[in-house]
Amino acid sequence: MANPSRLAADRSIMEEFAERVRRSNRNERIMKVAPVGVLIALMLVFTLLCGGNFASLKNLSSLMKQFAIPMVVALGLTFVIMLGSIDLSINGTVGMAGSLMGVFVMNNMFPQMNMGVGAVALAVLASAVVGLLVGLVHVYLRIPSFMSSFAFMYICQGIAKLSYQGKPPTIHDPLFVALSKTDFLLIPFITWMAMLMFVICFLIQEYTAFGRHIYAVGTNEAIPKAVGVNVNRVKIKVFTLAGILFGVAGVLGAIRLGQGQVGIGEDRMFPAQAAVVVGGTSLSGGKGGVVNTLVGVLIMTVLQNGLILLSVNPYVRSGIEGLIILVAVILTVPHGKQVVSK
Amino acid sequence: MDSRTPLFTAKDIVKSFSGTQALKGVHLEVYPGEIVGLVGENGAGKSTLLKIIIGAEQPTSGKMTMHGREYAPRNPMDANKEGIGMVFQEQSLIVNLNVAQNIFFGHEKDFRRHGFVNWKRMNREAQDALDDVEVVGIPPRKKVFDLNFATRQMVEIAKVIRVTKGSDSEHCLILLDEPTSVLNEGEVLNLFAQMRKLTAKGHSVVFVSHRLDEVLDICDRIYVYKDGESVGTVDAKQASEKLLYEMMVGRSTTSEYYRLEKQKKPAKEVVLEVEDLGVHGVFKGVNFALHRGEILGLCGVVGSGKEEICSVLCGDINQTRGAIKLRGKEVRFRSPEHALRSGILMIPKERHYEGIVAMLSVENNTALSNLRKLSKLGYIPMKKVAKQADQWIGRLRIKTSGRKALLMSLSGGNQQKVVFSRALASKSDVLILNHPTRGVDVGAREEIYDIIRDLVADGKSVILLGDTLDECIGMSTRVIVLKDGLMTGEFEAGVENKPSQVDVVSLMM
Repeated sequence: MANPSRLAADRSIMEEFAERVRRSNRNERIMKVAPVGVLIALMLVFTLLCGGNFASLKNLSSLMKQFAIPMVVALGLTFVIMLGSIDLSINGTVGMAGSLMGVFVMNNMFPQMNMGVGAVALAVLASAVVGLLVGLVHVYLRIPSFMSSFAFMYICQGIAKLSYQGKPPTIHDPLFVALSKTDFLLIPFITWMAMLMFVICFLIQEYTAFGRHIYAVGTNEAIPKAVGVNVNRVKIKVFTLAGILFGVAGVLGAIRLGQGQVGIGEDRMFPAQAAVVVGGTSLSGGKGGVVNTLVGVLIMTVLQNGLILLSVNPYVRSGIEGLIILVAVILTVPHGKQVVSK
Repeated sequence: MDSRTPLFTAKDIVKSFSGTQALKGVHLEVYPGEIVGLVGENGAGKSTLLKIIIGAEQPTSGKMTMHGREYAPRNPMDANKEGIGMVFQEQSLIVNLNVAQNIFFGHEKDFRRHGFVNWKRMNREAQDALDDVEVVGIPPRKKVFDLNFATRQMVEIAKVIRVTKGSDSEHCLILLDEPTSVLNEGEVLNLFAQMRKLTAKGHSVVFVSHRLDEVLDICDRIYVYKDGESVGTVDAKQASEKLLYEMMVGRSTTSEYYRLEKQKKPAKEVVLEVEDLGVHGVFKGVNFALHRGEILGLCGVVGSGKEEICSVLCGDINQTRGAIKLRGKEVRFRSPEHALRSGILMIPKERHYEGIVAMLSVENNTALSNLRKLSKLGYIPMKKVAKQADQWIGRLRIKTSGRKALLMSLSGGNQQKVVFSRALASKSDVLILNHPTRGVDVGAREEIYDIIRDLVADGKSVILLGDTLDECIGMSTRVIVLKDGLMTGEFEAGVENKPSQVDVVSLMM
């Protein structure tokens, strides 16, 4: 209030600054809706290019089947990525859950191990324990999450192969055999399960303190620490939750395949990560969520399905998928100096 | 003395960080219903004291009381329970959560029903909290991401008031660390109105700001700190900006400390010229010419834009306006490597992150920047590396058990000398020294001043961001003052006509 001319100049620097913030916020808002736009565009393109094949009832049903397991895996991974961490144990955990599921229900190989529906609980529990261990090792031994989870991938694959001793059992349990063939309202059972998992995860994310804390830890650990949130516990809970979801995915995989084997987990990790990132959840944490992941998984599933319908060479196909992931990562990871500090 | 009982007192607070004392025994007393200002230069210890009061840091020694009882918070929650809350300098809201979730962050348990958070009730109570500070037109469900800075600030204040209220203390203490730096005039007035309303209810506020006019405007009493010590307390009604400036700056150090006998008039030749330089939203309209053999000091508080000017000059960020001319030719740096190749080298402020490789030996650190020159067909003759290291150890008097010693075993000052050796070995003729004596003990500091004087005598030119104002004026041959991203003054600083610290500070704040 000392010097009016100086004040006028001050303001213009502040206005410039405000404009800069506005611009970066606008860009971020565009990035938020972009995935939905991409999904709609893809569906339109494939409907046009493949004629009736893409929009046919038969194809939509197979789309839904393809969508189920990647969705459940990606849900678990979403929370981990929201922390700013990563979980590379997926291929092992899912494979292990699938194998245990196969071994402990009525099957053609191990009659003495039949636990019936209890096998589901066992498989999911085993994966939950793996998730818990990944989290504990990461948090208390201060080992980066990519490393601790990667080690558990191999451990789980070993457990999986040991459990059926090289002879993958075929599931004979009438309940699970029936479920694999059941459609309800034209939607396959495993897809219903995936949607149920989505709803549960959405509730956790939006309606529990834990869900809010995940965002906070991913944004800046110092903030939750300052108000007394146990950051370590949040992290461990997230890895455990991820383990549970990977377990569910493994069980659904075994039901779909009709067999328990480690291959159920094969090639799960990268597509899941791709879907999470394509949906707009940032690898640096604190941003996005399960709704983004729903869109991301739909994009990846539609893309895969459409490219198959167009009979694109499978090698070219995986190349295209890789490129899309790369673009998504480039767009969602903040570069340079941020205007607004995290 | 005051007959009332103070709400909060801090006595003889000392805080040491690995050898250096950030606080050397400061005092603070706050009475109920009072707004107390805390002023001082950067590094005077204001923020450190606030962090101690809120429990984010623990004092090395000293005593605090709150409500007349002894008070030693181990973390910010302890402070909250006693009715103390703080709005941090860096905003601490989580942008992807909404307003209500931020206000009650960490207190979700109070709203739990059947395991789920009752967002409706939380939103209602958040609305009450916002109404309390008269923030209108923000729905509690709005994401913080969508709010502007001023509104975020008000949300933070609402949050802090809410938290301290929860303590059931009759009077609360609210700490505001530079709350106005992102606000415009109208928003500042609103903030002040809220502060007055709080104090009318008997709560107290500690207000830290670089804007002395604001401090004089809102505060009842003002504490002045300098170099981690309390200089004095003044009644705001009897104080003036000039008085505060004078208290804030200390006595100037003797001339031999800064090797003034070695200070020479710079040459006529212009090495680096900057015309109307600016970075959108950070600084603009910066003009200067750097001559051969000159030490140009940039003075300004944190956030004045001086750091960013250096970042532009060393190629770290791009300017959005204006031009840089190096030896008469216009240049635009694409990267720090590009700037270095053109002859501009920066000695960074964060030595440990940007300057040294602590796990490598002294000889390997000295050889880092000219390895390519030393190597023959990709092979590095260790004899040459050793010889070079021994030369520097002798010339700069680096105290080390030998050239094989790991750099982390050296003291701060000697680590900095190793950094300087690289600067000397490089062919750069413009050196940007960003706090070259930070974390360096007094003895080594003088040696670094010596080295800087020798550098300019060799014909190099220096842009200096001093660790203290005294250092910046003492070492420089010319001083430029910056405030809020604009140049507010320029002083010749020849041996005989150094500007006084008060002159410079009055243009900084």
